[in-house]
Amino acid sequence: MVERTLRLGRFSRRFLPTAWARVAALLLVMMLVLLVSLALGRVMLGPGALLEALMNPHAPTGLIVRELRLPRILLAALIGAALGVAGWLLQQVMRNPLASPDIIGVTSGASAAAVSYLAWLAVPLGMAGLPVAAMLGAAGAALAVYTLAWSHGVTPLRLVLTGIGMAAALGAVTTLVLAISPLTTTLSAYVWLTGSVYGANWSDVSSLALWCVALLVPLAALMRQVMLAPLDDALATGLGLAVQRHRAALLALASALAGVAVAWGGAFVFVGLVAPHLARRLSGYSGTAQMVLALLYGALLVMLADLVARTLFLPLDLPAGIFVAALGAPFFLALLIREVR
Amino acid sequence: MPDPVDTAFSMVGCAPRLSRRHLLGAMLALGIMPVPALAGSRPVRVVTLFQGATDSAVALGITPVGVVRSWQDPPIYPYLRPALAGVTMVGLETQPSLEDIALLSPTLIVASRFRHERIAPLLEGLAPVVMLADIYRFQTTLEAMGHALGRERRAAILMMQYRARVVALRARLAAHFGARWPVTVSLIDIRADQVRSYLPESFAGRVLSDLGFRWNATARESSGVMIKLGGVESLPALEAEMFFVMRHSGSPAVADYARRLMSHPLWQRMQAPRTGQVVEVDAVAWILSGGMLGVLNQLDEIEAWLEREAVS
Repeated sequence: MVERTLRLGRFSRRFLPTAWARVAALLLVMMLVLLVSLALGRVMLGPGALLEALMNPHAPTGLIVRELRLPRILLAALIGAALGVAGWLLQQVMRNPLASPDIIGVTSGASAAAVSYLAWLAVPLGMAGLPVAAMLGAAGAALAVYTLAWSHGVTPLRLVLTGIGMAAALGAVTTLVLAISPLTTTLSAYVWLTGSVYGANWSDVSSLALWCVALLVPLAALMRQVMLAPLDDALATGLGLAVQRHRAALLALASALAGVAVAWGGAFVFVGLVAPHLARRLSGYSGTAQMVLALLYGALLVMLADLVARTLFLPLDLPAGIFVAALGAPFFLALLIREVR
Repeated sequence: MPDPVDTAFSMVGCAPRLSRRHLLGAMLALGIMPVPALAGSRPVRVVTLFQGATDSAVALGITPVGVVRSWQDPPIYPYLRPALAGVTMVGLETQPSLEDIALLSPTLIVASRFRHERIAPLLEGLAPVVMLADIYRFQTTLEAMGHALGRERRAAILMMQYRARVVALRARLAAHFGARWPVTVSLIDIRADQVRSYLPESFAGRVLSDLGFRWNATARESSGVMIKLGGVESLPALEAEMFFVMRHSGSPAVADYARRLMSHPLWQRMQAPRTGQVVEVDAVAWILSGGMLGVLNQLDEIEAWLEREAVS
């Protein structure tokens, strides 16, 4: 692999052209999936009809393509991207390939909060508060895990174990709420717990996009520290990392990314675990390229899952979360098996 | 079901046979001209996204262009099938297919905040939306839809008709029960794995309250639409002088559970079973329909029961 260096005055970066060629290829695949998703559904559109629907605001199918399908596909992509980056970041910081937003309690905190909201507050307060409740749940759980794991600073192993304990406890809360909640919320709660982008609109897309940008900017500034995080504490300190402070900041960023994704899409599990592995195992690159690949694989996974969920069992429209694992798991296992050989 | 227009005329005392001119004049006076005529050349294209809205649209004399799948006997409740033959299905009440709704290019969508708040912005992008707070208040649903469809009079006449029938039926019930009236009542829904006790706030609960029934002690103390009973040990919470019992579906599992419940000593010890005042009623009319036509079917069932009692 030929590595190049880019210099512009004081700014210098090393980069691998092959890695970024891979990123470009993946973007191309995503565009293709986007176009196919726009064309497929209750009304199947040919290339010409799709172009007309996109270009002409008065086309009869324009509403379906531009107001129903496009925001839904983009929301799926954003959710997948945020979860992919969150999972990748957690795996770096925790030095553990099993780390993911599901395991350290973020998803379960958001789930417990969202299900409680659906059960008791959705009727008096309306559904607009649901993302807020889910975000507060995610933040609360992440903070609780961090505080409980604290003993003269936190170590990755303590964090993982505390997170697993917290996830189990919050899972019990979710089940309890489902069992005692008044009636009909149960169905919407199950859909939420599976993860779904049904009914996405443009304001959902712009809110989540804004959150993602707001969280990715500080992450970009911290990339050097992210690269040092997997190293041994002593080594990282020697290379200029303020281990505890940076670890706390990166964990907060990862939790927030996963929290906002889950707030708008429900408890999509598995994306945060599998997307970083796909990025790592399919390419072998490290650094920023790996993060961008994790982002793209995450986005692609949720986009494909929703495409399948929306079209495979027409006229039924199933929650995309069902198919994330259905698509991701075989691929993941195949990768592992290939690696063992 | 009697033709609502005929009924409307009989209620305001018109002669049953009228000339076309008189008929049109009377219809205009009543404000029940078909909406297309009032709204110019644009026909109303209503999509109803919950069962009570579908029922109410039919009650108001309007055939929706799209309806959601029914909970029982899908895709459409048997009592609505003649009125809704050939109507497009737009998916489930809990998750209607937005693309199907868009394809119908509706001029009005009737939804409920309880079920459709999340998709409200998208629905509003497709057509004007009548958003009901919940799905249990058949009067509110009927009046809001009557208003939105320009059929306020028709809605008012249906309400008058309902009140008149309630007054008459209440008198018959009082005569039937004599000094025991008002009797206490329980509205029981038997499902495959649980029993629910519906409360005064529920859809049929409102009708029973209007009829003057007294609620069982547990229902009087509870709030909300219904309570789930924990199991057979909680059966005494249903204690009342009269039971209206629904089987949630015709499945063998429900029949099996109902048999087990009704043969249980705790069931047989309660007042209604002891005195034979257990009336089995249709779940579709009593909890699932959610609209005025369902309510009228409930009144029919109570009247039929009174007649059976009078014979025996």
